[in-house]
Amino acid sequence: MRVSAQEGDVIVTHALGSCLGVAVHDPVACVGGLLHVMLPLSTIDPAKAQANPFMFVDTGFPELLVECFETGALRQRLEVRVAGGANSWNRGEDDFFQIGKRNLVVLRKLLWKTGLLLKSYDVGGTASRTMSLEIGSGKVTIKSGGQIKNL
Amino acid sequence: MALNILVVDDSSVMRAIIIKTLHLSQLPMGEVHEAANGQEALKVLDGNWIDLALVDINMPVMDGEEMINRLKQNPATSDLPIIIVSTEGSESRKEVLMQKGARFVHKPFTPETLRDAILRTLGGLDEQKAGNGTI
Repeated sequence: MRVSAQEGDVIVTHALGSCLGVAVHDPVACVGGLLHVMLPLSTIDPAKAQANPFMFVDTGFPELLVECFETGALRQRLEVRVAGGANSWNRGEDDFFQIGKRNLVVLRKLLWKTGLLLKSYDVGGTASRTMSLEIGSGKVTIKSGGQIKNL
Repeated sequence: MALNILVVDDSSVMRAIIIKTLHLSQLPMGEVHEAANGQEALKVLDGNWIDLALVDINMPVMDGEEMINRLKQNPATSDLPIIIVSTEGSESRKEVLMQKGARFVHKPFTPETLRDAILRTLGGLDEQKAGNGTI
């Protein structure tokens, strides 16, 4: 998880499979953060969550928000974008653990509770993604399967 | 440019979800009116200026389709922008409803889907989805 208020910074995270990349950006304060979370709930290993809250959606996302607010972002101005939540099976039914889907469900619950809507998203499928956030512009780029697109 | 909105659904929980989504969509909100069925909704429309109605179909006393028919018959309300928010699965029934000029949002919906439908109905967004993928 990285938060920055430096206009020239670009934060990148790679290999988003079932993991979620969550990018938040305040265009007025020019503050942004990118989070790479792996598992939905910290209840499976509270000790690990204490040591590294950014492993889990339910502890990582609130931390991301807190750090952004402490850096000067305002909730009302925040733009939230998410990518990832894929699974490695061609048929959804073969995805036994459904980590990607469950990560998204937990994130959606947190977004609803916090009163945030997604500005845009690119989730699901079977391909891995690389996500980058430009702090100056708030632009989020997704690289996947040899293609690049703006989110 | 505050919008007066009417939410029509027999479930108070669903009305609360829709109203919260309206607020989260950062629309310029004026008055929000609620009704539990088509008949109550028509009464609200009688006494209040409404800019947009979000209407369920399956309701007791008067359902959404009957309510929309009555609105279309009255010149004062025939141009009211309507978004139907319903579990209705039948494609033919949906066609009939959309022929009456309403946009359709299928329950269950993500808040972004409802927000985008509202923005498109009010003319603030072109016909492109906010995102790719489900959930």
